Amino acid sequence: MKKENILLLAAVLVLPLVLRPAIASEIWIFAIFGLGLNLLLGYTGLLSFGQATFFGSAAYVAGWLLKHYGISVFLALGTGVFVGAASAALVGYLCVQRSGLYFIMLTFALNQLFYFVAYQWTSVTGGEDGMPGIPRPAFLGIDFNDPFAYYVFVSALFIVSLWIMRRIVESPLGKILQAIRENEVRAEAVGYDVARFKLAAFVIGGAFSGAAGVLYAMLFGIVPLEAIGFVTSGNVVFATLIGGSGSLYGPIIGSFVFIWLSESVSTLWARWPLLLGVAFVIVVLFLRGGVVEAWSRFWSWRSSKPKT
Amino acid sequence: MAILETKNLSKAFGALAAVDDVSLGIEAGTLHSIIGPNGAGKTTLFNLLTGTYLPSAGRILFDGRDITGTPAHRVAHLGLARSFQRTNVFPAFSLLDNAWVAAFACGPSWEGLLWRRADRYPEVKARALAALADVGLADKAGKPVREISHGEQRQLELAIALAAAPRVLLLDEPAAGLSPEETRKLVALVRALKGRYTIVLIEHKMDIIMSVSDRISVMHFGSLIAEGTPAEIQKNPEVRRAYLGGVAA
Ligand SMILES: Nc1ncnc2c1ncn2[C@@H]1O[C@H](COP(=O)(O)OP(=O)(O)O)[C@@H](O)[C@H]1O
Ligand SMILES: [Mg+2]
Repeated sequence: MKKENILLLAAVLVLPLVLRPAIASEIWIFAIFGLGLNLLLGYTGLLSFGQATFFGSAAYVAGWLLKHYGISVFLALGTGVFVGAASAALVGYLCVQRSGLYFIMLTFALNQLFYFVAYQWTSVTGGEDGMPGIPRPAFLGIDFNDPFAYYVFVSALFIVSLWIMRRIVESPLGKILQAIRENEVRAEAVGYDVARFKLAAFVIGGAFSGAAGVLYAMLFGIVPLEAIGFVTSGNVVFATLIGGSGSLYGPIIGSFVFIWLSESVSTLWARWPLLLGVAFVIVVLFLRGGVVEAWSRFWSWRSSKPKT
Repeated sequence: MAILETKNLSKAFGALAAVDDVSLGIEAGTLHSIIGPNGAGKTTLFNLLTGTYLPSAGRILFDGRDITGTPAHRVAHLGLARSFQRTNVFPAFSLLDNAWVAAFACGPSWEGLLWRRADRYPEVKARALAALADVGLADKAGKPVREISHGEQRQLELAIALAAAPRVLLLDEPAAGLSPEETRKLVALVRALKGRYTIVLIEHKMDIIMSVSDRISVMHFGSLIAEGTPAEIQKNPEVRRAYLGGVAA
C-alpha cells in the first residue's frame, strides 16, 4: 500500500479518538466537498466561487425528504448526489463559455441567486433560521444517532469518494481536464470539445459537493442558511488552496487544517480567521502548492542533506 | 482529386479583409506551400480551414464534403491536424503526455474515458511515442516541456499534430524562430513526412519552400495572386514584384 493511503487510514482510525467524533466527521465531509472543488480548481484550472450552490441545494432537498418522508440515509445520499450534479449542470452550462474573472464572478453571482431563493423561501428552507429537525434514520438496525456509528458511515463514504476521484483523475478524462488547464486552445485544436469537458468537471464536482451537503445536514441535524452562502463557497476554496490544489490529497489536508482550526482554535480565540488569513497569505506568496508542496519540499531537503 | 478545397473563402476583421475570396485546391499526397509576406492572411486561412474562425463568406470542402462551420474540435476528428506558428503546447506535461493527449483525442474509441487508467491504453501510447520518434524526440519522451530547447519545442509542436494520425497536416511556419542549423534539421523532418501525409506548409523562408514544395500558392493582402510549381512561381513577374522583390531579384 502507498504511504499516503497508510497515513490516511491511520488518520481515519485515530481522528475520532483525539477529536470529538462530530468534528472528525466534519473533516471528512469537508474533504469530500474539497475533492469535488479540486477537480475544477486544481485539475481543470477553473476557480469556482459558487460550490455552496451545489452543497446547499443538495442539503435542502435531501434534508427536506429526510424530514418529511423519512427516506433512508442511502436514498438521501443518492438524492444529494443527483441534486448536486443537476444544479452544477445548470450553473456549469451558464459559466463554461466565460473565462477569467467573468467566470469567477458568474459562479459567485449564481451562488447569490440560489442563496436568495433559500433566504426568501422560508416555508421550505426556514430562511435565516435554517431547516432544523433533519433525522439520521437507522439503517439495517444501525443507529446513526450514535456519533461513532455516523463517523464510521461518513469516513467510509470519504474513502469511497477518494477512490472514485482517484479513478477519475487517473483516467483519460483527468488528463484531458489537465490539458484544458494547461492550454485550452490546443486542447480544442487536438479534438476536445472544451466546453463539454468543463461541464463534465462541473457535474462531477457538483455530485461530490452534493454528497458532502447531505452528510453535513445529517451531521448537524439542520441545514443552516450559510450552507448555501458564499462564505461556504469561500471556505472550500480557502481550505483547498491551503492544502494544495495541485494534488489529489491537497483538499483533504486543507479540510483537516481548516476544520481543526475553526473548531478548536475558535473556542480559544475569537479572531481565529486571522490565523487562516496568515496561512492563506503564506500559501499565495511562497507555497503555491500548499501544505502538500511544503511536505514534499521538506522531504527532498531531508534526503538531500549529506549524512554526517 | 483535391482532398482539401476552398471556394471563394473570405474572412473580414472589421474593415480588414484578412482572407479575400480565396479558392484553393490541395491535391492528396502533395506538399503544397503557401507563401506571402507577414500579414498576408496565411495564418487566418489556417484558422478558417480548422474551424477556429467562421468564414465571412465562402465554403470549405474536405474530401468532397462541405465542412464550413464545423467547430475546431470536430475538424480534428475528420483528419485535419495543425501545428501553430507560435509554440502552443501543454507546458506542465511531459513530451509523451503532450503527444498522448492528441493521440487519444483522435484514437479509435474513448471507451473507459472515465474509469480506465490513462496508462492502460497501449495503442494510444504507441502512437504518441511513434509521433515523438518521427520528430526525433523519442529519447526525451519523459521530460517535461520546460527542460527542452526552443528548437525541440518546435519539433514537439509538430509531434502533437502527427500524433492525431491525420490525413492532412497544416504546418504554420514550423521553422519560426529557429537558428539556421535547427532550420535545416526541421526541413529534413518535413521532407521525411512528405508522401506520408498531404501537407500544407506556410513558410516564408524562400530556400525551404523552393526545395520541398510540389506546388506553391502566393498570398498578398488576403488574396491569392499566383499558384504553380516552384519554377513557375520563381518566374512569375507579379510574384517577384509583390513578394520576392527584395529577396530574389
Ligand atoms: N483575430 C484577429 N482579429 C483582428 N485582426 C486579425 C486577427 N487575426 C489576424 N488579423 C489580421 O489579419 C491580417 C492577416 O494576419 P495573419 O493571417 O496572421 O497573416 P500571416 O499569417 O500571413 O502573417 C493581419 O493584418 C492581422 O493583423
Ligand atoms: Mg502567420
